[in-house]
Amino acid sequence: MTNILIFIIVISVIATLVQIVRVSELLSEIKNKDVNEVTDKDNNTQGLLFLIVGFGFLIFVVWQMITWDHLLLPPASSVHGTQIDLLMKVSMGLIIVVFFITSPMLFYFAFKYRGKKSNNAYFLSHNNKLEVVWTVIPTIILTVLIIFGLKTWDNAMNVEVTESTKLIEVYAKQYNWTARYSGLDNKLGKANYKLVKGKNTLGVDMLDINSADDKMAREVHLVVNEPVLLKFRSQDVIHSAFLPHFRVQMNCVPGITTQFGFTPNKTTAQMKESEGEDFEYVLLCNKICGASHFNMQMKFIVETQEEYDIWIASQDNLEKKLLTQK
Amino acid sequence: MSEHHKENFITKYIFSMDHKMIAKQFLLTGMFMAVVGMLMSAIFRVQLANPGETSILYNLLPSTWLNDAGGLNPDKYLALVTMHGTILVFWVLTAGLSGTFANFLIPLQIGARDMASGFLNMLSYWFFFIATVVLLSSLFVESGPASGGWTIYPPLSALPQAIPGSGTGMTLWLISITLFVVGSLLGGLNYIVTILNLRTIGMTMQRLPLTVWALLITAILGVLSFPVLLSCGLLLVFDRSFGTSFYLSDIIINGEVLHNEGGSPILFEHLFWFLGHPEVYIILLPALGIVSEVISVNSRKPIFGYKAMVGALLLIAFLSFIVWGHHMFMTGMNPFLGSVFTFTTLLIAIPSAVKVFNYLATLWRGNIRFTPAMLFAIGTVSAFITGGLTGIILGDSALDINVHDTYFVVGHFHIVMGLSAIYGMFAGVYHWFPKMYGRMMNKNLGYIHFWGTFICAYGVFFPMHFLGLAGLPRRYYSNSAFPMFDGLSDINSLITFFALAGAIVQAIFLFNFFYSIFKGTKASQNPWKSNTLEWTTPVERIHGNWPGELPVVKRWAYDYSKPGAEEDFILQTEPLKDGEIEH
Amino acid sequence: MDIALRNMVKKQLLWISLAAISMFFASMLSAFIVEKADVGNWKEFILPNYFVFSTGVIILSSLVLFFIKPQLKKDKSIFSLVFTVLILGIIFSYLQIKGWQQLTNQGIYLTGVGSNISGSFLYILTLTHLLHLVGGLVGLCISAIKSKQNLYSINNYLGLELTAIYWHFLTVLWVILFAFLKFY
Repeated sequence: MTNILIFIIVISVIATLVQIVRVSELLSEIKNKDVNEVTDKDNNTQGLLFLIVGFGFLIFVVWQMITWDHLLLPPASSVHGTQIDLLMKVSMGLIIVVFFITSPMLFYFAFKYRGKKSNNAYFLSHNNKLEVVWTVIPTIILTVLIIFGLKTWDNAMNVEVTESTKLIEVYAKQYNWTARYSGLDNKLGKANYKLVKGKNTLGVDMLDINSADDKMAREVHLVVNEPVLLKFRSQDVIHSAFLPHFRVQMNCVPGITTQFGFTPNKTTAQMKESEGEDFEYVLLCNKICGASHFNMQMKFIVETQEEYDIWIASQDNLEKKLLTQK
Repeated sequence: MSEHHKENFITKYIFSMDHKMIAKQFLLTGMFMAVVGMLMSAIFRVQLANPGETSILYNLLPSTWLNDAGGLNPDKYLALVTMHGTILVFWVLTAGLSGTFANFLIPLQIGARDMASGFLNMLSYWFFFIATVVLLSSLFVESGPASGGWTIYPPLSALPQAIPGSGTGMTLWLISITLFVVGSLLGGLNYIVTILNLRTIGMTMQRLPLTVWALLITAILGVLSFPVLLSCGLLLVFDRSFGTSFYLSDIIINGEVLHNEGGSPILFEHLFWFLGHPEVYIILLPALGIVSEVISVNSRKPIFGYKAMVGALLLIAFLSFIVWGHHMFMTGMNPFLGSVFTFTTLLIAIPSAVKVFNYLATLWRGNIRFTPAMLFAIGTVSAFITGGLTGIILGDSALDINVHDTYFVVGHFHIVMGLSAIYGMFAGVYHWFPKMYGRMMNKNLGYIHFWGTFICAYGVFFPMHFLGLAGLPRRYYSNSAFPMFDGLSDINSLITFFALAGAIVQAIFLFNFFYSIFKGTKASQNPWKSNTLEWTTPVERIHGNWPGELPVVKRWAYDYSKPGAEEDFILQTEPLKDGEIEH
Repeated sequence: MDIALRNMVKKQLLWISLAAISMFFASMLSAFIVEKADVGNWKEFILPNYFVFSTGVIILSSLVLFFIKPQLKKDKSIFSLVFTVLILGIIFSYLQIKGWQQLTNQGIYLTGVGSNISGSFLYILTLTHLLHLVGGLVGLCISAIKSKQNLYSINNYLGLELTAIYWHFLTVLWVILFAFLKFY
């Protein structure tokens, strides 16, 4: 029934449009004018519209920046993230300035130079000096941005791994995450996908001497201000581990181990204070991986050393979990 | 070549070898696919605004795509996203845009009777047509069409166990895209050879209209990059259907341990994006070419910095081959390689900036005539500025860490590639409609169409940047799974509102287009008072384009408002006066 | 279009197609190189000698093609030359297939449980080359028939020339592929 109704509405709208267009054409025929000729009046209206709608758009942009500012991610909760935020501020500031120079120019030119039958355009085919200027200026600005960007990138990706760096594996599969702590020896035992069986969901090689004290968990606890190196593996398709609050992202690729090192510098409790009681650090999947891609998450908790020690002690190690409990 | 063939209905309208008819075939197929793709986006936008709820639009979908409550299934949401991307990127903005205007404009603007090979040209369309049929047929497969994203990354696209769409739907997708690539290659070969050999007397490369330059460079990009997609797809076909391990390794799926070892999904990404990035410019450059022409004609001024414009096109095309890694910063690639790609990527901003400033300089002190085509051309420049600037964020590997694959990317490419190109396409259709059909499109409907589109499009895509900066990943069926995104539902509703409004506005264009084909007012020979050669042909379509001798070109295409001339335009066939210097 | 222009257009169409085909193989070859450098379980194996022989055969066939133009200039029949190239092309194909046979005897498979990417790449590269070569063989067949009917002259042998360019391309392509498979 609704379909028929929609059909009838569509037909009548088309019929009305045809009538309107016919009438306007007939009217201009009577006046002996070409309905599709662009008149000075059209130029005035359209030029003015560019001014109004164009600047309306710019106001809309400013409105969005103000209204939705509180929805954006809070400042980074990691050491390298702070530098990324700075680079983001600089780049964003720059493109906003360029945007608010060039866009108004475009809309204003459209308005200002709207045509008139009696007017003539100014013949100007090129101006080498001008062209050099607007090639060189972007080049200089970009050089600065590139250098700043590459430094930040280097800093974020080439983390130094020291004794105190905690090693944690994050294992992705459709559609959940599992973490593996490296235990007292801070070494992850070897793993192989062929060993995935029963409780050994990560395929850890229990014959490896480093495996026994590893611990598996469904949430990740980190110690504030302690560097951590995340190692990523995937069981089935490509996933992407995305920790927006820490400015961390890395793909998890089957057959390959990837990694990302960072140092969290704000505890969950601190964040709850500034961002509200509901705040949690989360790990999201950010590479299309199947039907439940949108709901593949794991909690991250940043806490003090004492809190962490209590939590980690409560977790069974793999030797106990896989070998003794049958 | 004989000038007038005997034509019957079939050779004139269906298996036509006339470039103008083939162009129209591309245009109509592209428009049809655009409607399909747009409806898909309307459907998934409704889902994003009201997750899990039912909607009247879902009546368009097969009932197996819906759950018992009448809501959209998550995997079918991904199917819609995937097909929307595929259709818009390849069918509308590659074939619909460059297929239409390369075919239509190249012979007309260089003064040739037709393409170098009419037969190859016809073949090119029919490959495209069959590809279209195959792609659409995949919508009606039981397990659904391809659903792994338009970038079809394996293993997701290789394993039907991972997502149902990777079964028959994906097979059809691959067949379809292979046919599509073959069609594009045949077209591209033809465009290049035609431009290089069949220019009329006097039409030197320095006198070519910028549209033709853009189309030439686009064709070269296509011929060099599409074969890579073929080899990339071939290896995927072997992995999917014959059990090789090029892209697969160490996989357990649904509890089943696969035998594949040693392959690398990252290899696929490298091959895919080696095509994928030039593809972006295959989409964008023809639009920029059209816009250069339209802006110059309607500002009644020569395009500012013709040589710089050509140089910028060439530089962008060259750079597009060495930046593909910026799609893969987060794949765990060597950080040094990431630095190289950041460097090359940000370089593209320079020729792009030059183009924008040259457009602005062309408008400056012009005598702008606001035809609907001109409105869309200015719209393109606006979108190119807005979308291009955010590219500086995304191309910077350090910043990409946190915006990669979020809605920030979606906003960016929809504005810079989607809007710029589709506005360019609209500008082209409004501008050359009189040449295509001998009638005018209604001006006032064109105005309404532009303003409706312009407002709605920014209403849809600009807020997406904020979603991305809030950390929202793309391709999420629903944002309700994470409390941190609860505050974003208002933005999503706003986007959906504008998306649906924008879709309805397009109906005005469709109406105007088909109404004007049959009932529009008759066009004169040169309605826009333009210089280029296509406006020296008669209004009636004839095979061979010019009834008598081919025109001889005496000057460049942009002598508008030249001091000393009687009118504000001088046809390219007009000889230089005594003492008059070119440009 | 006059004939000279039409010939030039056709030749250019061919050359640009060759550029496209080159990109196809270049990407495949770079995939091969990258995987070989990266993959942990890359299985080395000895390339069957058949591929060495086939390389010799295809180079020889290309050399034979060079004698056609002088013959045409002297207005002599070129059928035997074209036919020789055709036969050499068929021998090449036969040797390729023998090469695959020997590979499977060695336990190197294209696909399946026992396969390795190294073998898969070899099969794919040789297979896609052979598929392109089939096109060349068809061209040679047509050229052979036409030369038998004495349809070519020094002023009119475009079809043959295009086939020859394509055939030389296949030879060069094979030599490059062979070099990578054998020595890289």
